[in-house]
Amino acid sequence: MPRFLKEFFTRNGVGIGSLMLGLVLFWTIGLIILPQLSMLDFSFRPNLPPPEVGGPKDVYTLENYKYLIFGPEGGGQAFNAVDLKVFFRTLVAAVCVTVFNLILCYPIAYYLAQSKGNHIRIFALMLIIPYWINEILRAFALRIIFGETGVLNTLLVGSGVFDTPFDFIRNDIALYAGLGYAYILLMIFPIYNVIESLDRNQIEAARDMGASWPMIHRRVVIPYAKPGISSGCTMVFMLSAGALAAPQILGGPSSLWFTQLITNHFTNNSDWPQGAAYAVVLLVTCILLVLAIMRLFKVIWEISANEELLLHAAEPLVLPGDLLRLSPGATGDHVGHCLQLPGLPADDALGMPDL
Amino acid sequence: MTPWECLTFEWFGALFSDERILNGIWNSILVGFGTVILSVSMGLAGALMLTQIWPKLRATYYTVIIAPILIPGVVLGISTLVFWDRINRMLGLGADSFLSNGLFLTIIGQSTFIASYCMLVLVARLQRYDIALTEAALDLGATHAQAFRKVLLPFMKPAIASAAVLAFLASFENYNTTTFTFGEYPTLTIELAQKVRYGITPAISALAFIIVVLTVFAALANEANLRRKELVAKARKEATVEELSSGRIRMPGFLSSNWAAVALVVVACATVVVVGTATVYSPQQCIADVQEQKRLETEERINELRRQRDLRRQQQQEAEQGNAAEPNQSQPTGNNSGFGNVFAPSALSGEEEEASEAEEAPSGNNSGFGNVFDPGSLNSGQDN
Amino acid sequence: MSAGVGVDLENLWIRFGDFVAVRDANVNINGGDFFSFLGPSGCGKTTILRAVSGFLEPSDGRVLIGGNNMKGIGPNKRPTALIFQNLALFPLMKIWENITFSMEIRGASAKERRKRADELLDMIALPGQGDKLPSELSGGQRQRVAIARALCAEPDVLLLDEPLSALDLKLRQHMRTELREIQQRVGITFIYITHDQGEALTMSDNIAVMKAGVIDQIADGKTIYNDPSTAFAASFVGENNVFRGKVKRVMGNEALIETNRSGDLVARISSANQGRMKEGEDAMMFIRPEAFTLAPEGASGDHFVTAKVNHEEFEGNAFNIFMEGEGGKELKVSIPNLGQSFEDHTGQNITLEYETNNAVCVPAGELAAE
Repeated sequence: MPRFLKEFFTRNGVGIGSLMLGLVLFWTIGLIILPQLSMLDFSFRPNLPPPEVGGPKDVYTLENYKYLIFGPEGGGQAFNAVDLKVFFRTLVAAVCVTVFNLILCYPIAYYLAQSKGNHIRIFALMLIIPYWINEILRAFALRIIFGETGVLNTLLVGSGVFDTPFDFIRNDIALYAGLGYAYILLMIFPIYNVIESLDRNQIEAARDMGASWPMIHRRVVIPYAKPGISSGCTMVFMLSAGALAAPQILGGPSSLWFTQLITNHFTNNSDWPQGAAYAVVLLVTCILLVLAIMRLFKVIWEISANEELLLHAAEPLVLPGDLLRLSPGATGDHVGHCLQLPGLPADDALGMPDL
Repeated sequence: MTPWECLTFEWFGALFSDERILNGIWNSILVGFGTVILSVSMGLAGALMLTQIWPKLRATYYTVIIAPILIPGVVLGISTLVFWDRINRMLGLGADSFLSNGLFLTIIGQSTFIASYCMLVLVARLQRYDIALTEAALDLGATHAQAFRKVLLPFMKPAIASAAVLAFLASFENYNTTTFTFGEYPTLTIELAQKVRYGITPAISALAFIIVVLTVFAALANEANLRRKELVAKARKEATVEELSSGRIRMPGFLSSNWAAVALVVVACATVVVVGTATVYSPQQCIADVQEQKRLETEERINELRRQRDLRRQQQQEAEQGNAAEPNQSQPTGNNSGFGNVFAPSALSGEEEEASEAEEAPSGNNSGFGNVFDPGSLNSGQDN
Repeated sequence: MSAGVGVDLENLWIRFGDFVAVRDANVNINGGDFFSFLGPSGCGKTTILRAVSGFLEPSDGRVLIGGNNMKGIGPNKRPTALIFQNLALFPLMKIWENITFSMEIRGASAKERRKRADELLDMIALPGQGDKLPSELSGGQRQRVAIARALCAEPDVLLLDEPLSALDLKLRQHMRTELREIQQRVGITFIYITHDQGEALTMSDNIAVMKAGVIDQIADGKTIYNDPSTAFAASFVGENNVFRGKVKRVMGNEALIETNRSGDLVARISSANQGRMKEGEDAMMFIRPEAFTLAPEGASGDHFVTAKVNHEEFEGNAFNIFMEGEGGKELKVSIPNLGQSFEDHTGQNITLEYETNNAVCVPAGELAAE
């Protein structure tokens, strides 16, 4: 038995240790790594009826990827204009939703983080409660609001802003609003986390030196909040590009989301490899885009769980996004540092060997 | 114009007789429990491992277990489906085997990323755990299992509870992943999505009401409980030795300086009043009244629309002669009031002309949300 | 008082990868002793404690408790109880539950546990506090609870890992006395880890001075203070003035050291090094600040030191004179305040005298960092 394994078992006991190891291996390898690899592999195979799988026709092929770019063979078109258009529209729209969300959430997060008291708790609770309610119902509520004869149009027409009802759905405004709303917390909480740890005195000092509010934000708050901003943006972008429910319910009749194409290949066309190839393209493009933008803004991914929010906010109310945070300019080692357990013997830094 | 114009309990009747919704709720609960158990235990194991893993591996390991949060749900669903299908085939099992069972696949697929959320919640608490506590327990004679059960688990309990609630909620509302994996076991969200595409039914509004009320209750109860704990802790801290040992410590009242508790009581009263009224209230007269009023309003609007259409037709006729207006344009739309066509079955298809035709049948029934909230339209709603 | 159970470390090595945390430690701890490991942080003393309590397997060598080899026996099976540096009281258990945790593990009933907890609470002078939570106690009270919890397990050996380091000065001094009293009352072996020489000297029967994984000297407090066997022990325990130089001549138990800056001085060779210091070798000589007396002006010889006074201070019980010493290090002299008149010497050269017996010389070695 390797030394680290032996130490692992001495430290955790054989029973608990094997249970832990088993669960972690099942999760990382069985649920995360192998399925992704399997999907990648699948996307390079032709769509065959079950009896022919593994047969002589089951060879690797680029056909599924070619399809996305060039369309069906003999389709008569140079490019698969429909799918490509949907693909790029999805990416652009996801970027727009992210930017819009950032502009909306930064002030909210700043306000939440810089004020104290009961009303903040109530405000936070009111932000969080809708997220306990089913995503589909949430989207549908927005559809009611944005419908042609919905609340918003009634208001707008009633108050004379528009003469005729505006079709928010056909113009995709409902969709963008729905996506933005769906991930608003994922943007607010990471930024909130970071700003909350900003020493108020820094802002006071800047004010004292005569800086205007825009200046304070540009020079003091935003640079400090950059890790939170980038983690919020990453999550909102990835999740809105991969959204399915909101586009299905709020999307206009003619506008498709790329995930809808993927779903179509699985459910309607029964062409799994094609769907898998589209999924791979979506995943890889999104990751590359995020990495590129991070490189541009010089942020390095680093996540650490946020303790503060868990301690002070209502624990079970916490939503996933708030737990993630990026820190600037750190290397991978830093991750470990963040997660060091307290209470290791201070004397003898090496008293506790690392596995 | 609200759906509450006619308080009635009949919607709930509609909900409880909707087999598919009930079945969906049952499946959601099954999936939810499976996911909670699997993802909380994987999350806990993952979090514990994170604190012990070899530093050189830690960053990689962390990236791997955090990745599912960022991977789009559809991708997770697809990869789960594809992978287990392949395993199934490799093992030579049939299409009805355990591994291609919708419940199993959904639980596995959802747990992949929900475990990451759980891990984050648990790690946050684990960071404050002093490993010396486990060592102290061992030193005092406990076995590893005893130390885990008596010391680590009680410490982690609040976080485990949070993680479980989080996991259940995330599982309950998951759509993107479940779409690919549900098989023979559609969850509530899947059913809702399928129904909602064709407009809302009374059963769904009743369900939405229940969900919203339960949610608000749960949120307020939790908040009230937290506040109370804070207050009790404060009282204990201030208590003297005698008070503590005699058990005569003065605890704060449940409602004192606890806005959440007050809100909880208020919401509870309001709900009881609303539901109580709804159960004893006979909706017939109200519905008739509202319908009459709506009918008048609608007629007015129809007339106006007619005038507009006539105008438009004239213009069209002038513009392109010989091209007669479509016949269905002349049909009065039955459902132009309130939220109108939003709820029309094919509103999503974008072909409103056809919609108005389809809606012709129940056109006498124009309550607030179109005909949707009218118990009488139940059948047509379910047919959708 | 029982004889207690002894602990022996035989050729103990503990390595973490390439790093040697403990190098060939050989210690015999008598049953019923209060034994301290004294050294700066990072010297490996906690590692030794963890090896004794069973959290670490030695890389080499043996740990014997009561003569039994502890190899392969986990911490939960050893007759030891450890008091952690941060106490590690279970935060969610009440005080009485904390104290009787070991009984809970053995399956004792709640009634028995309550009774034992009350006895122990009386012993540590915290009667009636059993229903509080650890967070509701003060630092000193928590300290005593940790001791009671460890004693409740009825260990043969109690291990203490700098348990006083978190307390403030006054409480720390009070707890020293208390710990020593408890140890004498229960009569079991205490092994105490500290970097505070005051704690080690006041409480211990025997002390092991450690440096970078190596045990320099094991002796009782008085011997370590008066007769250190290495330069490190001499400079780590108590204040000391160091004089570097070469052995010029060995005269029985005394040696004449040719110091770098203060001429030839005579010193007693520490007992561990008698017969082992050769002429011409590098040596170090140590004189405690309080061992000097002011000599008449102009006096010279092999037990007189002359140097320039940098500054002086009055500390109440003593006058401290800081003089220009070796290599940037100050030479400190403490003259007890017995009511005599004391004039300011700043800037002057003064001559100091010491008794040969109060100067000790050892082979040159590493000094303790300030």
